[in-house]
Amino acid sequence: MTMNHRRSLANRCNALKSTGPRSASGKRASSQNSRKHGLNSAPDFESSLEYRALVELIAEEGFSGFACADIAAGLLNYRRVMDAYYDTYTSPQAVDEFLRDANMRASNPIFSKLLSPSGSEPQDVRDMAAFFASMQRQERRKGGPVSRRSADSYKLIRYQRNGIARLSRAVRQG
Amino acid sequence: MLYNVHFGIYVDVAMPVEDKSKSLLPFLSSPKLLPNESEVEFQAGLQSLLSELDNPSALAVALVSQLNECLWWIRRHTVDKELLLHEAMARLLSREGSNWMGSGNSALSVALEHYLNGSAQKDQAALIEEALIDANLTLSDLRAKAFKDAARHIKMVDDLIHRQHQTIRHLQRSIDSIDYKSRLIKRMDLELAALESKQPVKGVLSLDDEPS
Repeated sequence: MTMNHRRSLANRCNALKSTGPRSASGKRASSQNSRKHGLNSAPDFESSLEYRALVELIAEEGFSGFACADIAAGLLNYRRVMDAYYDTYTSPQAVDEFLRDANMRASNPIFSKLLSPSGSEPQDVRDMAAFFASMQRQERRKGGPVSRRSADSYKLIRYQRNGIARLSRAVRQG
Repeated sequence: MLYNVHFGIYVDVAMPVEDKSKSLLPFLSSPKLLPNESEVEFQAGLQSLLSELDNPSALAVALVSQLNECLWWIRRHTVDKELLLHEAMARLLSREGSNWMGSGNSALSVALEHYLNGSAQKDQAALIEEALIDANLTLSDLRAKAFKDAARHIKMVDDLIHRQHQTIRHLQRSIDSIDYKSRLIKRMDLELAALESKQPVKGVLSLDDEPS
């Protein structure tokens, strides 16, 4: 095992001891960790310049005021979904090659040394190895970059369905 | 003139979208392309779709632009299906051949990609052939096994393609509806003009006309 792999393994073991952010700004930043695309937040199209411009242009085509507002909001909402779709597609979760390709059996002596330099309990080493093995299984199950981007994009299907249904309904009822 | 991949026709790409009508497109975020994709080809697709409409309104142009993007997504996802297979093949080779983990999955993936494209260098071809012998598999066996292995993700991509087809259907209905509405308004204008002049008008559209 190379020095880089040793260091990576040591960093990961140390990271397990972390108790998370302590400062207010750190907590604020980490509260956004699970934010993926922002499509669940309610958009405020009405105050944007694009919305007003769209409403005016659509009104020239003979739609009523309410219909223009619906169509403009539907169009902006659909574009928002498709932009998020593109971003998700182009930036999939990165593959952790170290974890995916690591040889767990060869790592056991390093776990022992990291846990207690003076001689660790065999059970602790086994727990640590089992934990890393489960992480490796998860990493391998996710597959390569194409599998990941497909799986990530798949999660946005329902937003696309709702977005286009809203736009289509607004146009046809207008 | 450029060849349009969607409809197999040649189109004039010099005609800008803005010429069609006062466009909504500047107020909408534009569809983005991947680094290896051709913008000229994308615009050609859009122009060929627009050329099928007779004097499209601003809203129709905006909807057609979304429709063109859907066709583009279908293309991307179709390529992804093949890439998923390649990825699974590399994974299987790496797993089956005990001594291949040392070279890393990435090296094997790159070599396999070139090997399947027919652009592999000698050492890459040797690596793949040796890996196949080591795993006791032929290329077609490997492909069949990979298909089974990647079935879950291929199904996801199929669903993504299906979603784009559904979106296209929605957009087509919307465009038809706009077209019908504009014809109806035109007809009413003509009827109004006829009433005002109290003369029979030739060429008035019938109410029973269906949108094209």
